[in-house]
Amino acid sequence: MASTPQMSGVLPPTTKPAELEYGGDEVSALVLDPGTGTTRCGFAGEDTPKTCVPTSYGIVPDPEDQKYFGKLKIGENPINSVVEGMEIRNPMSDGVVENWEVATEIWRHCIEYRLSSRIEEHPLLVTEPIWNPLKKREKTTEIVFEDFNAPAYFLVKSAVCESFANSKPSALVVDMGHAYTSVTPVIDGIPLRKGSERTSLAGQHLTNQLRHQFSELGIRMAPWLTLKSKTPYTDLAAAPPLRTKDFGFQPHQSFLDLQQDRFIHEFKECVSETWPEAKTFPADINNLPDNFRGIADKAFEFPDGYQRRFGIDRFLAPESLFNPSVSPKAITGDLPKGIAEMIKDSIDHLDADIRANMLNNIIVVGGTSLLYRINERLNHELMTMFPGPRVKIHSPGQIPERKYSAWLGGSILASCGAFHQLWISKQEYDEVGANIIERRAK
Amino acid sequence: MVGPGFRDDHILLIAPGSKTTLAQLGLPESFTPAKLRFPTRMFPGLEEGQYLPNKVHELKEGEEMLLRNGEVMTAGPNGKPIKKRKVDSKLSSKPADGKGDTTMADATDEREGNEEEGGDEDEEMNGTKEEGTNPKLFYEDDDDEEGAVWCLDQGRIVNWEAFFALLLHIHETLNPTFHTPILMISQPCWTCTDKERICQFIFEKLKTPGFGMMDAAAAINAAYNVQHSLVIDVGYDKTDITALIDWNIQEVNRTTIPFGGNSMNRHLHKLLPELTEDEIDQLKRSNICEILPAGVPIPGEEDADREAVVRPSEPTTIGMGGVAQPKALDEEGDEEEEEGVTNIAAIVASGKTQEYLAKKEKEKADKKAGLAAGEKRLPNYKREKNSFSYVEKVQDSVLENGKTDHPTEVPDGERMDVDVAPPTTEEPKPVEGDSNAGGADVPAPSSEERQLATTNDAEGEKAAPDAEANKSGPSLMESMFSATKEDEDAKRAQEKALRREEKKRQEAAQSGERRREIEVGTERFKAAEGGILEAIADAAHRVVSSADNYNLRSECWNSVIIAGGGCRVKGFKDALLNTIIAKYQVSPSSGTIFTSELPSNIPTPSGTGTNTPQPSAFNSQPNALLLQAAANNAALAAAGQHHLSIPQPNQGPTSIKVAKIPEYFPEWKDHGFDECMFLGAQLGAKIYFVTDQGANKGFVTRADYNSQGPQAIHNI
Repeated sequence: MASTPQMSGVLPPTTKPAELEYGGDEVSALVLDPGTGTTRCGFAGEDTPKTCVPTSYGIVPDPEDQKYFGKLKIGENPINSVVEGMEIRNPMSDGVVENWEVATEIWRHCIEYRLSSRIEEHPLLVTEPIWNPLKKREKTTEIVFEDFNAPAYFLVKSAVCESFANSKPSALVVDMGHAYTSVTPVIDGIPLRKGSERTSLAGQHLTNQLRHQFSELGIRMAPWLTLKSKTPYTDLAAAPPLRTKDFGFQPHQSFLDLQQDRFIHEFKECVSETWPEAKTFPADINNLPDNFRGIADKAFEFPDGYQRRFGIDRFLAPESLFNPSVSPKAITGDLPKGIAEMIKDSIDHLDADIRANMLNNIIVVGGTSLLYRINERLNHELMTMFPGPRVKIHSPGQIPERKYSAWLGGSILASCGAFHQLWISKQEYDEVGANIIERRAK
Repeated sequence: MVGPGFRDDHILLIAPGSKTTLAQLGLPESFTPAKLRFPTRMFPGLEEGQYLPNKVHELKEGEEMLLRNGEVMTAGPNGKPIKKRKVDSKLSSKPADGKGDTTMADATDEREGNEEEGGDEDEEMNGTKEEGTNPKLFYEDDDDEEGAVWCLDQGRIVNWEAFFALLLHIHETLNPTFHTPILMISQPCWTCTDKERICQFIFEKLKTPGFGMMDAAAAINAAYNVQHSLVIDVGYDKTDITALIDWNIQEVNRTTIPFGGNSMNRHLHKLLPELTEDEIDQLKRSNICEILPAGVPIPGEEDADREAVVRPSEPTTIGMGGVAQPKALDEEGDEEEEEGVTNIAAIVASGKTQEYLAKKEKEKADKKAGLAAGEKRLPNYKREKNSFSYVEKVQDSVLENGKTDHPTEVPDGERMDVDVAPPTTEEPKPVEGDSNAGGADVPAPSSEERQLATTNDAEGEKAAPDAEANKSGPSLMESMFSATKEDEDAKRAQEKALRREEKKRQEAAQSGERRREIEVGTERFKAAEGGILEAIADAAHRVVSSADNYNLRSECWNSVIIAGGGCRVKGFKDALLNTIIAKYQVSPSSGTIFTSELPSNIPTPSGTGTNTPQPSAFNSQPNALLLQAAANNAALAAAGQHHLSIPQPNQGPTSIKVAKIPEYFPEWKDHGFDECMFLGAQLGAKIYFVTDQGANKGFVTRADYNSQGPQAIHNI
């Protein structure tokens, strides 16, 4: 990883360095990786982003405000405070930015919060999903140059970053994120549109499934912030009264959902597990066959103190990533393909001569890939689907490297010496306009 | 790089805070609390863009003003100052502050001199000095600080000019050698550009040979010397919450929330709107303001809410959460003891030994008279009302005697000289006994008091004092003896207290301040009820829950460090810990407490009472080993068909504990560990500048700066 270049000649300690010797080129670039769940940002050349703020924002309605008709609450702390009337929204839709005004504010917050108060001094590298349409790419360019006044900028596909982060110029990148799980073939640093697939079977899907599952069980999903303290109990029928806090108003449902997501997230980390084989998963979990091989229970305590053991049911939501038909909450509309199927589709779309290479270089990254034993399952399914060629799944062993894979790749790229010629400068933008992005970065 | 060979006594430490900036030149043999304290504010100077450390006052003709170094300044006609030197014998006789004090005095002289030459009418009022040196004058209200420019807001530098002027002022005050490297404690919320800017200023203006920055959380962690920790640094208007794993700050998920000591002031002010902000501040710092541990009812209030906070003592948690309660009370006992000790230290240091001894004598006399202190003096938490003595700084003080000279070392938290029921070491501790009785039990004496209390509720307390107390004037007595029925004893004690009161008033009048007893009701127990505890607890939970290495999260919970000036309020730390435990601690599940709702062919783990059983059927893969292998990619390739699963954690935290306070710093023991950040800074400075000599790039050298510019600060 590149660091600040050292000057060869060292001045005597008493001399004040000339202005030219620092600043300018040596200002480190910023890498911004906007996602639906969180937006990551940090300096190029570092191994983890410095900030990771939720992309969701709060809005407190205020008809006086002409721009947003409300007061924006951006950042980890504001959206986790109980404010009357605050509604939680997300500026992203379909994995790409929908509400540009707010997204710009969030990006700005992300950068100015802990990185740099001088946003206009740093070259900015932004990542984008492969399905980002031209309009939005141009809009991003416009914001970076017009709003942030960045000196230089570049837009990179996150799949490319991820393959770089895992030091593979060619790979089949499986990115299991918050809103989408995507499969993108990358050949020598070029992402292929053909063969790239995506599905909404990802983190958010899991959260929704679990939320549904819990409510089916009759669990009161009171989040921490609304409670004073917990009362441990195990019998739902004899549940003690909730020790709720009285705010004098009812928090908005979207806020409660966001707060519920916090313990559901914990559940995903600690209890959820992926069933290792497709075919042995019981068809009806409420009616297990006698010879069914048992699995150990895992206990979970909900914020209100309810303790419960989860057995086979803790496999259900992850199972729905592979087999959407078992989803606890029935999926409306067409049943999407499972993740393994989707990877198969992607491979099938590719030219025969690169298939083997792709199968041998499958990179699985993203926060949802941290789901316990999901890689074993994926491997098992792919091995069954492709018995011939050698299937090999690569996944970083460190948690941050998986979560921030796209950011990390961007950080590596932007700090590369060779990358310097790729930057689109402000001057170029001024000459050509937003369309420069389509010319310079396909 | 060859180290420049810095010496211990040549190291300058600066720790900027929102209210107070700590500084010290030189590392002592045994690390001490910060020698100097500067308010983090400057006053606009006479010229635009110029900042002075003190409020500029106009001295009217014929008025006299006392300078803290024993001079009396008289403004003559035409604004010409006449200077008389009055040698204060005390100044030289105090060894503790000799050095720092004279330096400061010199600095003042110099400045005064300059202004005189300029024939300026304005004279400096020595705002800083008086504050810094006189415990009674430290608390200025806003009028005194009118026009002050506070450099930091919630840790962020809001006024760079003033901040740099302050740094310059500190540097001038300490007047270090040219071989003095500087270590600054950085606020977590400073951005990278902020740090570069400071680095540039330090090198170009202060001409230091070496400069290092240490994060506040890292410094606190270093003071406690723990590998994994959760640092909660309660500041003036903000609280920084940082998780550290393997000594490393978890940068991504650390957070700063806008709650701090000042939030408690604001909340108290809401409850007691009749008090001024300054009074509120002193109330908060006084001994009578405390946060009661869960289960101890607020006297005179049957508060269901508080009861609810008590963690139910169900069997499974006795090993964990259940312990917290009695322990909390024990700790409080210790605290009281500690405070007793520090009070003595502070009093001795402040040169008021005589007064203090006299007070002690009286107490002894009381005892001889057969009054056990415990009988007549109910502990604060059982009184419905209590009072503290408010020290009001007399404004426009034209002082005549030199009683304002006190060392700067006295920490402001202990400056409050509260005379109402000070928890002295002699005082027997009924606390201990009550703690066994458990939370819900209402201690007998307080119920007695409650009967009295019912006659006058909190609102009407001022208008309708207790019947017994009506006999004599001072409000101090009203509260102190309202619960006692032994008239005789009470009377005598009252007389004594009256005399004491008298004496104090006299003294106060002499030293240019006014003392006043202010009585407050149970509001004083509610300082933290403005949501600060919940906000910190929730943010702490978020910080730890988002720490990437989820298998080490429980380690963080096992050494929680609560530091910072804002947590000095009595009982705050315990209350915070209890809040966290009550909401976020997970009971360790044992197989016996609940049954699986699944069919019985699923094996039930044995009810050993241990943590959640690991899944056994499929979990036999040596995941931990694989994880190890994953560390290097070569091994990863060799791992072949095995796929990485990062081991799944159990739900946590199952235990939450505070980190143990290190014991080998005697000076800090008395001082309290709230400012342990400064201890960490000293440890850090010792390692970076002296032991390491720059071998591990612990700081930026002049040469580094010359070659890399301000960005060099990021490479350390």
